[in-house]
Amino acid sequence: MAGRETMKTTCRVVKPLMSTDFCEARRRAIGLYRAFYRYIPYIHKYFDIPKSESQIRSKIREQFYKNACVTDIRIIDILVMKGYMELQEIKYSWQQKGHVMANWKPTIEPRPTDFISKFLNGKD
Amino acid sequence: MSLFFNRTFGAGKFLGRIILSNKKSPIVQRLATKTDQATAQVETRPTVAKIDPIQKTHLIDFGKYIAECMPKYVQKVQLTAGNELEVLVPPEAVIPVLQFLKDHHSGQFANLVDIAGMDVPSRPNRFEIIYNLLSLRYNARIRVKTYTDELTPVDSACDVFKAANWYEREIWDMYGVFFANHPDLRRILTDYGFEGHPFRKDFPLSGYVEVRYDDEQKRVVVEPLELAQEFRRFELSAPWEQFPNFRGNPATEEVTNPSEDKPKQE
Repeated sequence: MAGRETMKTTCRVVKPLMSTDFCEARRRAIGLYRAFYRYIPYIHKYFDIPKSESQIRSKIREQFYKNACVTDIRIIDILVMKGYMELQEIKYSWQQKGHVMANWKPTIEPRPTDFISKFLNGKD
Repeated sequence: MSLFFNRTFGAGKFLGRIILSNKKSPIVQRLATKTDQATAQVETRPTVAKIDPIQKTHLIDFGKYIAECMPKYVQKVQLTAGNELEVLVPPEAVIPVLQFLKDHHSGQFANLVDIAGMDVPSRPNRFEIIYNLLSLRYNARIRVKTYTDELTPVDSACDVFKAANWYEREIWDMYGVFFANHPDLRRILTDYGFEGHPFRKDFPLSGYVEVRYDDEQKRVVVEPLELAQEFRRFELSAPWEQFPNFRGNPATEEVTNPSEDKPKQE
């Protein structure tokens, strides 16, 4: 009885967002990565940012790997959709230089971790 | 001379009539209120909405009619605040119910006034999507409510109401509810590159990032915000629920509930 209850709670039938299985969701994610990858030269050309193409490429790769642990198909679909929306914003220049550069976080200093730098920063 | 006399006489007669009728009307009004007080308690406070009993019976009848027409879709019909009819439907029934209300001849709710969202994190389906419809033909309003969670898509109402386009984009931006088959789903209120959905209850009031102009970079930079511990406490109850006048009395009256086959509780 208890087992059936847990089955009922854990295996809920849900409406799929777009993908019906993991392979399809993965294919969509790779499709988004390719779309970004092909747009890298244009990002480099149209936005006046002090980054090379390889730096942009590694940044996109990093942003994708940030979500590497996501296994839920529907969350992958939502993330892919948000990614396409972001690509559209970049393509139509709705995002400006500051928005694109925000991915690199140039002004944020990493928090001090060891004792002496914490002491010098006045933090404990 | 005689003509002038006639005229003044006529005017006097007319004046007398006006005075008579002026005197008469307050008496009639007072009588009416007296009879009303004898039959039912009449709301006399000027700031409180008066509820028309005829309109209320019409709304109850129409609510029952909707529930009879679409027993598969309508989960519950209720009256809120005395004269606001609400139809509660599951998310897959949004399109047929809206289409019915728009095209049915005795409804003609052809205007989509607004789509609102609501977030109640304690529920299994935490978001409510609320469609406010207006019928210009019958001077009536109706509200269609549905529910969803973060990952379940709701069908877009753009095919039924063109006005739904921007409202749904707003809901998507503020709550992160995904609308399937929306022609142009993207952000509408937040800044490009903004992360998160600000109207969710678990979104802090101060946000996660702050934006400032940086002199060295010569542009606007985004920096994470350090939240003080006292701002991490989330007040999940709405401020108006604390008013004592609204605490005790339930605002909704059930018109019909087809799933339980209950009779009308009036």
